[in-house]
Amino acid sequence: MIRFPILLDIYQRGDGPLKRVERISLPEIGDYSIGRASENQIVLDTPEVSKRHAWLLLREDGIAVADRGSTNHTYIGDAEVDQSPWDGALPVRIAQFEIHLVAQSAIGETRVNVPQDNATRALASGSAGAPAAAPRGQSIEVALNAPNAPDEMRFPRNVFKSEIVSSTEIKASEYFAGESTYLSVGAGLGSFVWADHLRIFGVAKSDIRAIGDDVIPYANYQRLCRNSQIPPHERLRSNSQSTPDNIWGFPGYASRETWKDLKEFRFGGLKHIFQVFGEASLAQTFTPRSGEVFKSIDKEAQRIGWREMFVSGRVLGIRKTNDERYAVAFRVPEDQARGGLRERIMIGKFLHISTGYPATRFTEDLQAFKARFPEEARVFNAYENHEVVYRSIEQNPMPATVVVRGRGIVASRIIQRLYEARSKNKNITIVHQMRNPIAKNEGYRYKRAQRYVYNHIENQAFNWPKACWGGQLLRETERASPEERVKIYEALGGTTTADRRDWRNIIQLGVGDGWYKPVFGHFETLELVKTDQGPKIQMRLKPQRNQPPVEVVADFVLDCTGLIGDITHSPLLRDLAETYKLLRTLGVGGGKPGGISVTPDFEIAGLRNGSGRAYAAGQITLGGPQPGVDTFLGMQYSALRSVDHMAVLGAPNVSLFGPLRSFSQWIKWCTNAKP
Amino acid sequence: MVPTLKGRWLTRILLFLWVGVPITFLFSLYVAGPRSPVLPYIGWHYDILPFQILSLILLVGLVMDPIYFYAQQFRWERDWPFAYFFFFSIVEFVIVLALVWWGVLDFTRPRSQLHTSENYLLFTIHFGCVFLLSFISVLGLIQIFMIRWRFKSGEWGRM
Repeated sequence: MIRFPILLDIYQRGDGPLKRVERISLPEIGDYSIGRASENQIVLDTPEVSKRHAWLLLREDGIAVADRGSTNHTYIGDAEVDQSPWDGALPVRIAQFEIHLVAQSAIGETRVNVPQDNATRALASGSAGAPAAAPRGQSIEVALNAPNAPDEMRFPRNVFKSEIVSSTEIKASEYFAGESTYLSVGAGLGSFVWADHLRIFGVAKSDIRAIGDDVIPYANYQRLCRNSQIPPHERLRSNSQSTPDNIWGFPGYASRETWKDLKEFRFGGLKHIFQVFGEASLAQTFTPRSGEVFKSIDKEAQRIGWREMFVSGRVLGIRKTNDERYAVAFRVPEDQARGGLRERIMIGKFLHISTGYPATRFTEDLQAFKARFPEEARVFNAYENHEVVYRSIEQNPMPATVVVRGRGIVASRIIQRLYEARSKNKNITIVHQMRNPIAKNEGYRYKRAQRYVYNHIENQAFNWPKACWGGQLLRETERASPEERVKIYEALGGTTTADRRDWRNIIQLGVGDGWYKPVFGHFETLELVKTDQGPKIQMRLKPQRNQPPVEVVADFVLDCTGLIGDITHSPLLRDLAETYKLLRTLGVGGGKPGGISVTPDFEIAGLRNGSGRAYAAGQITLGGPQPGVDTFLGMQYSALRSVDHMAVLGAPNVSLFGPLRSFSQWIKWCTNAKP
Repeated sequence: MVPTLKGRWLTRILLFLWVGVPITFLFSLYVAGPRSPVLPYIGWHYDILPFQILSLILLVGLVMDPIYFYAQQFRWERDWPFAYFFFFSIVEFVIVLALVWWGVLDFTRPRSQLHTSENYLLFTIHFGCVFLLSFISVLGLIQIFMIRWRFKSGEWGRM
């Protein structure tokens, strides 16, 4: 239940910190439109905001935010949203504005500042309170108009009225945008690898379409890499033979790097081959540079004609059709509107869904802190852009403390980045917060083997043991019942980092010199305190095992605990799962259900529509037959499984891909000839 | 590599057929010719001896595989690095040589014809060729032809 009026603080980001420009009050249930045009209820008048940018939907039981196909998108925190419930923990971000929900319990206190009549006046005049920040050089207007009647007939609900929709009706409608035998939703790496397999197995590019935000299939992945401090020359946590640009996995990235080096007479390049030869036991595991991977994908995209298969748009809904196919509703960007109409529906026979991680994760205490102090840019998820942290601590030779939370690969990389920052500012201290200490002999166990622990962190080359991608562990998870599978995942999973010599040395050095301190437990309190050196975050750690309580005063907190995989954070998947009552995988640790349940062929059984088939890939299938679904090799595996499955079903032009075809296609790959 | 026991056996048989048999056939022709260490001998003669050696290598390997698979269970990743594959292939060949020296092939021909230093040199060159091509095959050649092999723990066939 929410209490009315709802108070919202609108902040604006300029060059400096966030400034509050407005506090507005929404008095009743309704759909409030946000946009640049004056007909909106909440007017944010800057060029970056679309005319009709987003909806704020106020209901008796909660608030939701819906993007209206805006150019610059709508975000909750760092996660781009199409339609999503909003609990106010993270702000809604639109262009340079942030909309914060004033905590419901705080309303009582703020009544003094925002009297009831002020809110009423706001509705009448379109303005409430005095703007705190004067706009620089451009007109900024935040205004509040009266709400519209709720619009029940919004796209695609106006067309997708039932579980099965008529394809003749869609084809006759203004939304119809074509048909395709093979249709992929997401257009990210999962879609790309799937389309790559289809092309190489014999399908023409005119029969494949992939709908998504960005024509660059790795755009989202690259953003996450950049934010988590993996620039092009840094290495990913991925194996040599995990090659999204090459379905065979040969030549792998190691031999390609060696070849490149040898061509330039750099014989040191031979070490990459040796790494693959002796990996894990004799040599450090080879991992490719992110930049090299992206370049290779660009080349393959060019070869298979990805641009011609790509359809720009945000997918809003999926339904079965009455002719054994699937209808996919999406909204194209503003510049592709036809007579103002941006809504489209495409029909496909073989559907593939690979939409990736729905959101970044914030641990609850950090969420609460961010909500309480929205003006303080001090708490970040490592997957968010947080360059400001490094800028600030590198430019000022003042003592600075950064708390790194989490023990995964991202935490390792962030610690390495902070270590690099220490070359500019010797006064940087790293406090590494982990849930609990792990002794050397306390690593995870599965059957006869145990995982290696170093510096309280479990070490593993990749995010699952290697045999999860095609060895005995994959056999076990594929054959297990859902209940057994959860048990296997609980025994094999957990947070790990790669065993990299440089990372070990950094920690050893830091412990020795005293600028790296591991602390264990949960923070009980997070407070903002004013110090001589400006505001800082004061944290008290809940003591572990009779240890004395630890108090930390930090400048920044970097949350490296990851991304949210819960598919209900994606409005598209939630709607799909609810409409067709799709099975979900069981969550680890008896937690929430995981991804969408798929067969070992990665088919979504609940979406089978006569001879039409729907497949899924990537993160959204987490907890299913294959553990490492959100990895390059995992996507290659799922693509191969689903394309092989279609070949057996007799899907048009998908060959059975025997040895001769495989070899001749490989030659084409090597010579960069069209498949 | 992340093989299962079945995958190990099937990959071994695959390498036997794909690499071992063709190379051994060439060696058979040579061994049968005049006993000169200088190549080439061109002529149609045939000797079973290289095939007997190749079969011994296969048999020893098939017997060793369960041991490797058991050892693999103590590795957290359940993998088998290429370096291990390399090392244990040589171990297997040493076992084969020991078996020959001990006399497992003595029933095939007189000892004086079998246990010559030239024969042992030939066995080693023969093994070296088969092993080198097998190793290259495992490193990448197989998956060019059999795209599913690497996901099937070394087993053949479709998914």
